[in-house]
Amino acid sequence: MDLALTEQQEMLKSTARAFLERECPRQLLLELDRTETGMSPALWSQLARMGWLGLAIPAEYGGEGAGLLDTAVVYEQLGRGPLGGPHFSSAVLGALIVLECGTEDQRREILPRVASGEQILAVVYTEPDYGWGPESVKMTARRDGHDYILDGVKLFVHDAAAATHLLCVARTDQGSDPTAGLTVFLVDRTEPGVAVRTLPGFISGLGEVRFEAVRVPQWAVLGETGVAWQGLSRAFLRAIPVLCAYKVGGMEAVFELAVSYSQTRVQFGQPIGRFQRVQDHIIDIVNHLDAARWATYEAIWKLETGRPAEASVHLAKAVASEGFYRACNSCHEVHAGIGVVRNYGLVLYTKASRSLYSYLGDPKFHKRRLAAALEL
Amino acid sequence: MDFELKYSPEQEAFRKEVRAFLEANIPPDLEEPVDPADLSYEQYLMRRELGRKLGERGWLFPTFPKEYGGGGLPMELAVIIEEELDRYGLSLPPFYNTGGTLGAPCILVWGTEEQKRHFLPPILKGEVRVWQLLTEPGAGSDLASVKTLAVRDGDHYVINGQKTFVGSLHGADWLWTIVCTDPNGRRHENLSWFMIPADLPGISMTPLDLLMAGGEGGASPGAKYTVYFDNVRVPAFNLIGGENNGWKVATTHLELEHGGAGSIRRNRIVDRLIEYCKTTYRNGRPLSQDPDVQDLLVECYIDAEIGRLFNLRNYWLRHTRRPRTYEGPQASLHRKVSGLRIAEAILKALGPYALTNDPAWDPSGGHLEVFHRASIVATHPGGTIEIQKVIMARRIGIGRAVREEAGTVV
Repeated sequence: MDLALTEQQEMLKSTARAFLERECPRQLLLELDRTETGMSPALWSQLARMGWLGLAIPAEYGGEGAGLLDTAVVYEQLGRGPLGGPHFSSAVLGALIVLECGTEDQRREILPRVASGEQILAVVYTEPDYGWGPESVKMTARRDGHDYILDGVKLFVHDAAAATHLLCVARTDQGSDPTAGLTVFLVDRTEPGVAVRTLPGFISGLGEVRFEAVRVPQWAVLGETGVAWQGLSRAFLRAIPVLCAYKVGGMEAVFELAVSYSQTRVQFGQPIGRFQRVQDHIIDIVNHLDAARWATYEAIWKLETGRPAEASVHLAKAVASEGFYRACNSCHEVHAGIGVVRNYGLVLYTKASRSLYSYLGDPKFHKRRLAAALEL
Repeated sequence: MDFELKYSPEQEAFRKEVRAFLEANIPPDLEEPVDPADLSYEQYLMRRELGRKLGERGWLFPTFPKEYGGGGLPMELAVIIEEELDRYGLSLPPFYNTGGTLGAPCILVWGTEEQKRHFLPPILKGEVRVWQLLTEPGAGSDLASVKTLAVRDGDHYVINGQKTFVGSLHGADWLWTIVCTDPNGRRHENLSWFMIPADLPGISMTPLDLLMAGGEGGASPGAKYTVYFDNVRVPAFNLIGGENNGWKVATTHLELEHGGAGSIRRNRIVDRLIEYCKTTYRNGRPLSQDPDVQDLLVECYIDAEIGRLFNLRNYWLRHTRRPRTYEGPQASLHRKVSGLRIAEAILKALGPYALTNDPAWDPSGGHLEVFHRASIVATHPGGTIEIQKVIMARRIGIGRAVREEAGTVV
């Protein structure tokens, strides 16, 4: 047993941390949060140059072939930022879907462009009957000669406004088995009939995508028609722990904010960290942080070593989503007034903890899956 | 024991009078913005006008003595005014006025006769809007450590310092302010309260950019500011309750702010949530028929009912002049912690819908998104969760030989 990162991974971690500290000061993150895409072209190019848009992409397709653990190490630092924008949707989730569902030609065509940042993917999956299981995809793609016609509404889609291309999941066959009949279409976001709208509220980067009689050719089908669920579920399983690592990084930053404030804020003649009620909040944060951290990394280890990993992945996502949400709440309790001043920065994490709470399945969804994996 | 408010024929006659008055005097275009930050100046002025009209009849502060501009009414009739206003989604007063609702009782308890005659009528008649100014950058939970300094100079005091997380949209007429009058004095024996005209030279303010402007005691301010005092000369007459006696005055102020005022209103958010879930279909059935959603709704409903009962009890205790100990902060604590629970339950029940106010996808009209942000912010104005617990413990007498007493209220 050895729970430590390798020397190389430690280097990757400190490189990533140094990059975030140097290139993504709080002021920039606050400005990016006010944009529709959460990203600037300059920073996007930098992420590409660092190789971070190719972490999950094998070297043969122009990526870094970094492996899940290395990817998670970087994502933990991105979560510390917290650096928003379409990097996860495109370079992790989107890339894994192309890898799992696409043909060899499609991988060679798409993935190098994703790694270079030239192409940005958004995964267009969820609908008004929101959910991440196969049964939640109800939108249909109708066959018309050699083409398909897409019609319908997708909702709470992450990063669609930032994307150049959409990986739209639709139903091409109706049957009693919800896992059968799903197809992924690669659609140019500027295609006539595609309308993307970012949703307002206490969320970042979530939008509505409308398809109105959008004609897509046969070659836009990723891989084979009707069998996408198998590839999608493998991609989800591998992407989820990376998203969890992002939340772990966010929680770590929130923990440090709380500790530091408790040591410097003086009330009643002493640092507030001396008060047990304040200590309780910080203890809660670190417990959420460590629970999410070790659940996430064990799930990654299982995936990377070919062990049965489903239960661990579901456990990690349930724990990380709830943990990040509650850690932010606790950090607000420690800070009171100053914590809700937007420029202070805590609100960025709080908003991220809400925006990402349901991404790739909310805690309830994963607890149900965990129950199934445990054959309860 | 009787939880139902019952009304005599005389009281029902009074209700008719109130209802007719409100029908005649509430403008048809008076709207409650979903997000208090959206309150327009015109809407604010309408509320002030309504306040003045209520004030003329003594209905703005119905239980306060008539001789100072109050209504001199018993609790039973005051309740009727609040119930009738509640039908319009309004409360008393119909605008943010913490320096009035909390300052006026302090003046009544601690002011001289001359001060009562000078300061109370404009407040009770709705002629002035007053902000409370307590928090400073270095004095939040530890209010007694305020550093804003008032130094006596002839028949004036000269005030220097700053207050933060204070105020509301569209300004104030007066500022009900706690300051230090003896920097070398002992803790709790060096504070004083001033009622300060907001237009005095040397007063300036800058807005804060917040997740949401939290309301002390639940009032919705819509905005918060930092207020600066730069050599502001205030008449010595405006010092209320005696020099260096401010902590005693504060016990009255804080008792009311910390939930001791009570309320007959109920939190509407759970009603809205239940209505939302009964009328919104997901996966072919109303959300409210999903057993998991039902569990969440019932938990929220219980929280709302307990909150209503705590507030109702405190209203009764206050207006029947019964002794109280920990009940005020208990209601305040419940409002704060149940707010966090309800916000989380809404997210679990509705998913990302809970977080957007998009007109196409939010049947609540923005209420749930505002509530989510508000629940995070509401945990600290008017005392943090921790401070409410500290006060409760002292009042119960945990770990102390002598129980702390509740502040005197009216």
